[in-house]
Amino acid sequence: MRVNGMKTNQVIEVALKAGEILLTGGAEIYRVEDTVTRICGSYNVRAECFVLPTGIFITVIDSEGNPVSIIRRIRKRTVNLEQVEKVNSFSRSLKDRTLSYQEAMAGLKDIAALDGYGYVLKLIVAGIAPFVYALLFRGTVLEACVSFLIGIVIYAIKEKITQAGVFEFFEYFASGVAAGALSTLAIKLFPFMDLYRIIIASIIILLPGLAITNAMKDALYGDIVSSMFRLTEAVFVAAAVGVGVAIALSVGLRWI
Amino acid sequence: MVEIFLAFLGSICPGVIYNVEKRNLMWVGFGGMLGWITYRTFNEITKSLVLASFLGAVIVGIYSESVARLLKAPATIFSVPGIIPLVPGIAAYSTIQHVAENQLYEAASKGIETMSGAGAIAFGILLASAVFRLTKKLKKRGPNPS
Repeated sequence: MRVNGMKTNQVIEVALKAGEILLTGGAEIYRVEDTVTRICGSYNVRAECFVLPTGIFITVIDSEGNPVSIIRRIRKRTVNLEQVEKVNSFSRSLKDRTLSYQEAMAGLKDIAALDGYGYVLKLIVAGIAPFVYALLFRGTVLEACVSFLIGIVIYAIKEKITQAGVFEFFEYFASGVAAGALSTLAIKLFPFMDLYRIIIASIIILLPGLAITNAMKDALYGDIVSSMFRLTEAVFVAAAVGVGVAIALSVGLRWI
Repeated sequence: MVEIFLAFLGSICPGVIYNVEKRNLMWVGFGGMLGWITYRTFNEITKSLVLASFLGAVIVGIYSESVARLLKAPATIFSVPGIIPLVPGIAAYSTIQHVAENQLYEAASKGIETMSGAGAIAFGILLASAVFRLTKKLKKRGPNPS
């Protein structure tokens, strides 16, 4: 019955850890539920699993026939697609070769420790993205360079506020204000540039692409509650950025 | 040609921000590139933002699902950065600008344009995933159950 001498509660622990990494990394709900059930299944444990964007609920029946249930509250939601992919292949590999509890937990800890690309590289990329988009919207090279600088500043502000953890969505509002204010400033310095291009290009990294995609995928798999959650998240992010830019523009264009 | 290369870069950058692995980044870029080519072509022909965004997103969705199967990675990795070039940025900006200048009727009209563009992208992705899921189900039910 038992595989590799894993106790039922250890199996749940491994499954829960995998689910947690997936959910905080930005995976869709069905993928989390699927992974948890599959991990339990590869240790011959039948599990029922229910996942919301804010928590994971697992119940299994242990060898004596008693139900064991664990709830894990998820508060952190980041985007780390590398972790999603790694856990995905980890759970698939368990089907061919089951690991012991220590091995599995060590593997998952390694995945959880991955924090992707370095801060400096991301900062530079956060500048390159607006640079590229300014050109893609048929802007001049000078506009692209201004967007490059604004993009870097916005990303730095967003990361700092996220780390400080003020409120959810506040970082988007602040970044929007910064984008609006800096672009207006740039226009005042170089009046021959187009304001709209610089603003659109520089807020491109703030777009809630993951939230929209996941909202649709969740809806497709019937996870309507999570779909609503993601959709609202996307609307809030877009509104926060938009209002931030609007405030900065109405002040900047009228009084300065 | 330059534009196509820019669209390629334009999906890789969000990919880095979202921590897509290095070996998948190139595939992310191709997805965004294909989506942008589709979007631009149909935008020129039909002059319809909604139709062009929808078709672009369908292409990104189909591409992501197929590459995901080839590389054995989740499709999200490719579709999330891939749709970024399609986002109706100019319409969204006009909405905000009209709001800031207190022209609320224009803001409403541009706002609806933005939302339709975003909705078209979302449903394009949805359609592509739905088709792939359907084929998977049909295969499972296939004529020769093993």
